[in-house]
Amino acid sequence: MRVFWILFAAEWRHFRTARGLVLLCGLLLATGVYGIYYGTTEIARQRQQLAALPELTRRNVDELKVKFPGPADAGDIGYYHSTFAVHHPDAWAALSLGLRDVNPSYVKLRLLGLHNQLYATDNANPLKLLSGNFDLAFVLVYLVPLLIIALGFNLLSAEREEGILPLLLAQPIGATTVVGAKLAFRLTLVLGLAGLLSLLGMLWARLPLDGRVATWLALTVLYCLFWFGVVLVITAWQRTSAVNAVALLGVWLLLVVLVPSLLNLGVAAARPVPQGLELTIRQREEIHGGWDRPKTETMNRFFALYPQWRDTATIRERFVWRWYYAFQHLGDQAVAPLAAAYAHGLQARYDLVERLNWLSPAINAQSSFNALAGSDLPTHLAFQRSATHYHDSLRAFYYPFLFRQAEFTHADYAREPRHSFTSLAEVATARRGLPTLLLSVAALFGLGLLLLRRPIAPR
Amino acid sequence: MIRSIAQKEFVSIRRDRRFAGLSALVLVLLLVATLVGRASFRTLQQERQLAQTTVNDQFRNQPARHPHRVAHYGSFAFRPKSGLSLLDGGVDSFTGSAVYLEAHQQNSVNFSQAQQSGSLIRFGEMTVAFVLQLLVPLLIIFLCFGAFTQERETGTLRLLLSQGITLRQVAWGKIVGYSQAVALVVAPALALAAALLFTGEEFASNTDLVARLALFGLSYAVYFFLFVVGSVVVSATQASSRAALVTLLGLWIVGGIILPKATANLGATLYPTVTKAQLDADVHEQAQHGINGHDPHDQRAAALKAGLLKKYGVDSEDKLPVSLAGVQMAAGEEYSAKVYQQHFAALNATYERQNRLSDWAGLLNPYQAIRSLSMGLAGSDFAHYVHFQQAAEAYRYGLVQRLNGLQAGMGYGDKERRLDAHTWRELPVFSYQAPSLGWARPRLLLPVAALLLWAAGLCWLGLRLISNFTDL
Repeated sequence: MRVFWILFAAEWRHFRTARGLVLLCGLLLATGVYGIYYGTTEIARQRQQLAALPELTRRNVDELKVKFPGPADAGDIGYYHSTFAVHHPDAWAALSLGLRDVNPSYVKLRLLGLHNQLYATDNANPLKLLSGNFDLAFVLVYLVPLLIIALGFNLLSAEREEGILPLLLAQPIGATTVVGAKLAFRLTLVLGLAGLLSLLGMLWARLPLDGRVATWLALTVLYCLFWFGVVLVITAWQRTSAVNAVALLGVWLLLVVLVPSLLNLGVAAARPVPQGLELTIRQREEIHGGWDRPKTETMNRFFALYPQWRDTATIRERFVWRWYYAFQHLGDQAVAPLAAAYAHGLQARYDLVERLNWLSPAINAQSSFNALAGSDLPTHLAFQRSATHYHDSLRAFYYPFLFRQAEFTHADYAREPRHSFTSLAEVATARRGLPTLLLSVAALFGLGLLLLRRPIAPR
Repeated sequence: MIRSIAQKEFVSIRRDRRFAGLSALVLVLLLVATLVGRASFRTLQQERQLAQTTVNDQFRNQPARHPHRVAHYGSFAFRPKSGLSLLDGGVDSFTGSAVYLEAHQQNSVNFSQAQQSGSLIRFGEMTVAFVLQLLVPLLIIFLCFGAFTQERETGTLRLLLSQGITLRQVAWGKIVGYSQAVALVVAPALALAAALLFTGEEFASNTDLVARLALFGLSYAVYFFLFVVGSVVVSATQASSRAALVTLLGLWIVGGIILPKATANLGATLYPTVTKAQLDADVHEQAQHGINGHDPHDQRAAALKAGLLKKYGVDSEDKLPVSLAGVQMAAGEEYSAKVYQQHFAALNATYERQNRLSDWAGLLNPYQAIRSLSMGLAGSDFAHYVHFQQAAEAYRYGLVQRLNGLQAGMGYGDKERRLDAHTWRELPVFSYQAPSLGWARPRLLLPVAALLLWAAGLCWLGLRLISNFTDL
């Protein structure tokens, strides 16, 4: 054990004098801090934008109060009044932004048909979306493995190439101890950096210190260990530094770039999603067909869904709002199966990726981080369901006015339901990633140690 | 002498098993990317064409309706994929494909590919452009990092120079040899892609597409040449093969992974944009109260009515030969569309300011130069997307104003009447014409200049560096 610590200390002195490696670690620290800064400011910006929405609703109500100074027909209000379903980020999203920029964080709603409002997108710069987010999760998933590769590609080969290895092996030291001490030093260094960045991120983003801290740290440690396992195997393979560098970068490229992009193609082909295009077209046809259909037919179909309004006055007028909103809702009803198939299709894609994420620890780590932060696709689908329920409650609020022909007064604006949805962390999904990672780490270290039992070639 | 060095490099590379393995991998990936690109291109294109035909038929086959109802019924614009987007999807996966066109408001373009996949899409997409932009350079680095260091390590560099040739000639010989090897890998794949592209009936005899494809191939040739020269220069100036390889891989990581993301994020931080909700609210407010706040909607409407009454010399609305509602609707649409255009232009100007950071970074980082050049040529960059948005809005505005005109022509009491079904068949439907290469040219100049500057700079400065500073 004493030898181990002597070697460990020697590695530390060696590292301190290697200016390139110190610089590299400094660089990683700097990119990590930038990632945390970017993530927290991005979430702060989204919060600020969401906080501005009630003001827009208030301005809209003020305008309506001027437009309808006295008691008004609720149909007019439902038509001109807009409100928002908002998706507040979880504080953890600052560390792993996920798809929060691809999917809108609010939906503007009127009393009209839901499905041509639900899929509206927010303003976004597509080039920025393509380039992706520079958050802490990116630094951990993409860049930390590269640092591990840079620190470890010449673990033994440099000693051999500089002619030190024969001297070292002439001492009564096992090869496992040499490699173990070298790896342990680098592991301490990298885990120190990754842990420091994670803790800094958690403090900076003012995260609630709940059970997710442990999950995040466990994911980080296991993911780093995985890459050290790869380094161990390549080291034990005993090739030159150049070959090691190529092999390690090849593994990185395979697991972080090629497997995910090929899996994306495979999943899209294996789980085709019914396009949203058909849904929107169908809904428009249904709704606008409502103008041409006999009113009694529309109302009877509507009353079948809402028997409580069956006894209301028969429509004799050429236009009346309750008929208008009835066929708006029937339009939504007509495309409900399509909308459900669309949402299920997206969820099925996500589930398939979850099942196959053992193919690449990078996918596993990234989707687990996103699940912890509640910033992936399932959260957005949950938000869309929540927005749908909100639309239901808006209709439930307006229908009594419309069908009982009650007047809508200025006081009624304040009684209108409001919406708020906050991302829910999918801790279970995130924790499901841990055993897979643990298993691959164990496999790699087992293989590495097995290979190390072969004699080390001094030259 | 240069030729025999080139010949030697070319031959020894071809005999290298590692090269064979790596290039086979690149070839297979290129092939997969081309085939998958074509398959998904076809699916998307068919889906969108079918959708567009469906809505166009629906529009033409409407029953007798009041024109304002038709304006609310509206139409859709579906964005067709550009021909070369099967090689370089650019930002296409992150932009919507369908926009609903109706009276009074400008809707967002919805249903992007990215929204239909989980965060997996954030790892990048397997397209031909991805292989060419990031993987082929990596192959080049692996080929060339030992160009000088290996000769030095085995002591053959001194022998070579004792033949009476200069370091510069050795460098050129190696550059030519390596370039031939790269061409051997990439050219067949690109030729295959071009063949696949032109056998599809979609692309029959389109000179614009041919020009775009030719430039596409040419710019990648320059890009690969850059990497060959750069790798040889680095190899000559580094002490060992290991140092040369690590330096080159470090540059690849910084240029290919870190910088593009960092510049895009920095741009978004420096130039914040407004949300769609805020933009719509601002447009509505200005349309109501006038662009300068002194010209409210009610006053404009009243003035319009007074002007009409005066023009036709009558004293009440029911004596007017035109429908007042129709005329007012047209005026309102004109005003709000004008306001919207101002806000939309400001938003896009902000996006362009964000993106300019990436464009200028192309001067430092050839990857970012080829990326924007490549998607510009493929018709899948931000500018082409904005072109589609503007075409859709222009069609929407034209359609709504024609319908308002029809309504105005119906005279007083138009609300009680409808127009014949054949009216809708005479109105134009949306059909998108992607812009030509000439239109895209101004935006491509900066990346082209960046690539050429790099090529010239490396050939001149880099090779001077080799002849002055290389230790034997």
